[in-house]
Amino acid sequence: MDDNLACPRCKTTKYRNPSLKLMVNTCGHALCDNCVELLFVKGSGACPECNIPLRRSGFRIQLFEDPVVEKEVDIRRRVLRDFTKQESDFPNLREYNDYLEQLETIIFNLVNNIDIIETNKQIEQYKKENKDQITKSRARKPTEILLLEAIIEEENRRSEFRQRESLTSAKEEKLRKQKNHEALIDDLMFLESDAKSIVESHKQAHQTETAAAETKSATAYQSSHLVGNSNLTSNFPSSSGASGAPAPFQQATTFTSGIGFGGSATFLPVPKGLGEVPLFVYKPLVLLIGGPDPPTLEELKYPSSSSSTFLQHIRAASEGEIAGGYHHSIACRRALQDAFMDIAMQPKLLKNRQLFKETELDEGEMVLGKEGDVEMDTS
Amino acid sequence: MFATSTQKSHWIFSDEETLIKIREDTNKFYVDRFRPPDVEDIGDFFLTATEERSLLHFYEYQLKDFCMKFQPPMSKAVIGTAFSYFKRFFLYNSVMDYHPKEILVTCVYLACKIEEFNVTIAQFVANVRGDRVKAQEIILNNELLLMSAVKFHLTVHNPYRPVEGFLIDLKTRHPILEAENLRPYIDEFLDKVLMTDVPLMYAPAQIALASVLEAARKCREHLDVYVTSILITDEEMLQSVVDAIRTIRLMVRVKNYEPPSRDTVKALEKKLEKCRNQENNPDSTIYKTRMMEELLEEDERTQQDYSTTLAEQRMHFARLIMESKH
Repeated sequence: MDDNLACPRCKTTKYRNPSLKLMVNTCGHALCDNCVELLFVKGSGACPECNIPLRRSGFRIQLFEDPVVEKEVDIRRRVLRDFTKQESDFPNLREYNDYLEQLETIIFNLVNNIDIIETNKQIEQYKKENKDQITKSRARKPTEILLLEAIIEEENRRSEFRQRESLTSAKEEKLRKQKNHEALIDDLMFLESDAKSIVESHKQAHQTETAAAETKSATAYQSSHLVGNSNLTSNFPSSSGASGAPAPFQQATTFTSGIGFGGSATFLPVPKGLGEVPLFVYKPLVLLIGGPDPPTLEELKYPSSSSSTFLQHIRAASEGEIAGGYHHSIACRRALQDAFMDIAMQPKLLKNRQLFKETELDEGEMVLGKEGDVEMDTS
Repeated sequence: MFATSTQKSHWIFSDEETLIKIREDTNKFYVDRFRPPDVEDIGDFFLTATEERSLLHFYEYQLKDFCMKFQPPMSKAVIGTAFSYFKRFFLYNSVMDYHPKEILVTCVYLACKIEEFNVTIAQFVANVRGDRVKAQEIILNNELLLMSAVKFHLTVHNPYRPVEGFLIDLKTRHPILEAENLRPYIDEFLDKVLMTDVPLMYAPAQIALASVLEAARKCREHLDVYVTSILITDEEMLQSVVDAIRTIRLMVRVKNYEPPSRDTVKALEKKLEKCRNQENNPDSTIYKTRMMEELLEEDERTQQDYSTTLAEQRMHFARLIMESKH
């Protein structure tokens, strides 16, 4: 796919020139970097496709495959610089949505060259009407960037801390080993007991020590990890020696392309009409036995008295069957349930059926719900 | 579960009179449909409901025979289900409309599928005597017809599992009795039940209990204590159970298990051959021409075509009636 990427002017492809870079300007037409160099030697010139005057400084590397997307990104960025209202600036959701729709219409018009003059007028008017609001929000922008910087800084600090910690622990380890070694030599020199037993006891002591150190480092690592996981929402603990904890980080409000999205709320509220629909009410199924109650699965598996061990009289499930989720109590229960089901049924009390032909079969007869009027003779 | 099944809601009838009434209506419906309008006296050209009944009785034996001889041997549930389909089908369809020998094999084939007894159609027709290719065609043609005739109520609750339930219950709660000894008598009773209308009137559990009690009686054992004080403690419930069991046993006892004699069957078959719906007879010319037409015109068969074949049939019957008079 990538190899087919070609400059529309000089027809060079990515395959022939692997270092080919496509650039776009505000009009949304792509050019390779060589052509840009060639055409815009003077710093400005016309787009070879649409003859719009362009500046060389306006060229950027094309991020998206479709140059039209690139153009839209450009326009969106420009428009959003002025249209900076947030949801909190509106009295209700409806107006905020209208505002968003207007915004999208403007961007769409600009991208597709519909009523450019009219739309530009609209933008100008908006700018005039919301002058102080725009300046205010311009001032607000840097705070978000500051926030991001603070986060990066904090992350750096944390990795530094981790590095330092591992360094100190390594140093400690080395020191301890040295100390142990010296103690061993001392003991061998001055103690009267068997050299072998001294070495043995030292070895044991060393082992327990390293084990302790290991668990310690493990917990230290764990805790640092925990902190690392919660870095998005909580400040770094003061024990790390960090000073001037940054403000808690908010949810990202920009795409990687630099375009802002959403307001403060990312989810729309639940529509109000929902309450009017009758809600589903669960009614548990009632099993009509129409005879004596058969024992339940639990009663079969764990009989209360030794006399009622139904399972003795049925083939026990093999291990494989049990692994597959089958138990012989299921078969036993089914047989018993089938044996007791409708044992007291009186056919005379059932509703009499009328003669029907397939052609006269009415739908109602098929509906199971209608069977409610079948008289049951239980209790 | 039987309590919520279509079997209970659609295929359990209150008494034998209802069944007789339905069968008579079915017979009447067929006769009215094909009665030639210009012939005053049709005599005994068409089968009566009783004659249909005895013919069906004969074919029920055939059905049982076929199932018993079937290779590989099939389980009882398949037989029970096949019998249920057969009974249900001919409750609302006349013998003259669809020949029982064709429906019979189709019932068994469908029952094999529903009861998860896996045989291929080739394996299946290997059990059929006569032209196997033709048999296969008939079975596959009739399968959908059968399903729609039983209103797609394909699940059948047979008394075989309830019997197992009762045996487990007997062994557990009434261990004095050697329950396994009852088995041969139970099977015998259930085989008889298949020949009766009991499955169309009572729940499988009731049939199973009746069979257990009948078997115990034959073994000279007493199960009254079990039924009245262990199984059922509710007085009212006990009464309806006892009523049901009594009727089932009575129905099974009164039933004449002798298959109709060869001569009667032969006479009836001969009569049937004349009055059967030729549209459903794969050997008839009407059937063949209709098949050809359908092949040619695909779906273009209209109501008009239908009425012409009906008129054709009536004429055909009228001719046969005249012939028989002379």
